[in-house]
Amino acid sequence: MITGLAKSKEAAPPTRIAFSVPPALWRGATAFLLAAVVWEVVARYVIGNPLFLSPLSSVAVRTVELWHEGELQNHIWVSFVEFFWGFTLASVVGILIGIVLAEWRTLRQFCDPLLSMMYATPIIALGPLFILWLGIGVISKIAIIFLTAVFPIIINTIAGLTTTERTLIDVARSLSATPIQIYTKVRLPAALPFIIAGLRLSVARALVGVVVAELFGARAGLGFMIVNSAQSFDTAAVFVGVFILAVAGVVSVELLKFLEMKLAPWRFQSEDN
Amino acid sequence: MVAKLSTRGLTKSFSKNQTELVALKDLTIDVQDGEFVSIVGASGCGKTTFLRLIDGLTKPTSGSIEIDGRTITKPGQDIAFVFQNDGLLPWRTVHRNTTFGPELQGRPKSTFRKLTQDALRLVGLNGFDEHYPHELSGGMRQRVNIARALTVGADVLLMDEPFAALDSQTREIMQGELMRISQQTKKTVLLVTHQIDEAVYLSDRVLIFTARPGRLKEEIVIDLPRPRDLAVKRTPEFVRYTDRIWRAIEEEVRESIGLEVQNLARAKA
Repeated sequence: MITGLAKSKEAAPPTRIAFSVPPALWRGATAFLLAAVVWEVVARYVIGNPLFLSPLSSVAVRTVELWHEGELQNHIWVSFVEFFWGFTLASVVGILIGIVLAEWRTLRQFCDPLLSMMYATPIIALGPLFILWLGIGVISKIAIIFLTAVFPIIINTIAGLTTTERTLIDVARSLSATPIQIYTKVRLPAALPFIIAGLRLSVARALVGVVVAELFGARAGLGFMIVNSAQSFDTAAVFVGVFILAVAGVVSVELLKFLEMKLAPWRFQSEDN
Repeated sequence: MVAKLSTRGLTKSFSKNQTELVALKDLTIDVQDGEFVSIVGASGCGKTTFLRLIDGLTKPTSGSIEIDGRTITKPGQDIAFVFQNDGLLPWRTVHRNTTFGPELQGRPKSTFRKLTQDALRLVGLNGFDEHYPHELSGGMRQRVNIARALTVGADVLLMDEPFAALDSQTREIMQGELMRISQQTKKTVLLVTHQIDEAVYLSDRVLIFTARPGRLKEEIVIDLPRPRDLAVKRTPEFVRYTDRIWRAIEEEVRESIGLEVQNLARAKA
């Protein structure tokens, strides 16, 4: 009797764990579904005019249509290429500049106010100028994306490299580390999570950069598609563009968050406890 | 007989706001091979600075340090330091933290696994090789900190309040562990601590520093039989030692607080 009880108690938890969904997940999903229903109902029965707000179902239909026309793929591809080059360049150049400024104090003091200013400036506002200087092709977009994305990366790289915990450096010195070893085995790895956090901030900015740069003048791309559709009162197509950008934003930020968690699990410790 | 570790007239001063602040003054001590020596004193008496000078992390203003009669000037493999905050690299596993010293010295990697196993067995953490520091408790991290110092292969261990951040029960256990480790490895240990009972329990000799500038005020030989277990702390002899040390320190603590009050009054005037 008693052993039977003990057994069933031991057996019960695994099956329950297997079927349970984390509450945060299903709550989030519920809110998501609810929002979709509200949208559909409001668009269809309250507003009733697809010009102002097209129902979610129409957006879905329009997505399929645009895909079949082959236009959507082209816009996605063009925006992706711009984003890819702008963001990659910003990452590489940003980290390199950050490394140089972290090491070279005098130069850093020269650059600091400039960097803070550029970080706070909405570079996007210079969009029209960039189109003027570099044309309406891909290059002007890459330049804008690069400039919106590069500053958080520089600033975070500097912060990561200059705030290494004193004890960690003392430990390495006490173990007879050379200055190069201290750099490669202590300061760089300690800075890595900061650098990735910088990339995560930049990814969101770069995505905004893509769209807005294309709004100012382009031949293709999701921003161009949005502007074009709005001008021809194709509200559903506007939402198609917005949705794709939203998905791209979520995916890229989550990807970097995942990377951050893999590379620096100790920074997420408090959430476990 | 040449002492394992000696300091000769070690003095350290810092300049702050154009005034010369003497942290340590003319410290001459000898520590014999295999001896366990503790340093106690009021806060700010330069105990930690003293250890940092010996390890070469800070340069002395004057004086010298000798190991086996040889003068040393920078961190070497003769001395290992156990830091107060464990100072474990959070991105490295216990194994890679433990063998950080040998790795920096470019010793052959093939020996590392055995180094870790031996060191972890000694500190009572075997099997934790592949854990990350954030997965360990404070006491366990401090053991890894000690294990890391052991793989250096140094004869002299400098320990800077290694258990200060632990809760009092864990600290008690860790004192027993350190006693066992130091006896098994026969290392020469110089321990800085605030805990008088810790100093008496572990040491062959306790050095009492004066308040700033830190000088050697008194030296007390702890003549309690070894091996000692934690129960020794409740014997009358033990209590006599702690009383005596506390009386010596109390003066210094009062003086250091009094000095600060005076300085404040002067600053206000």
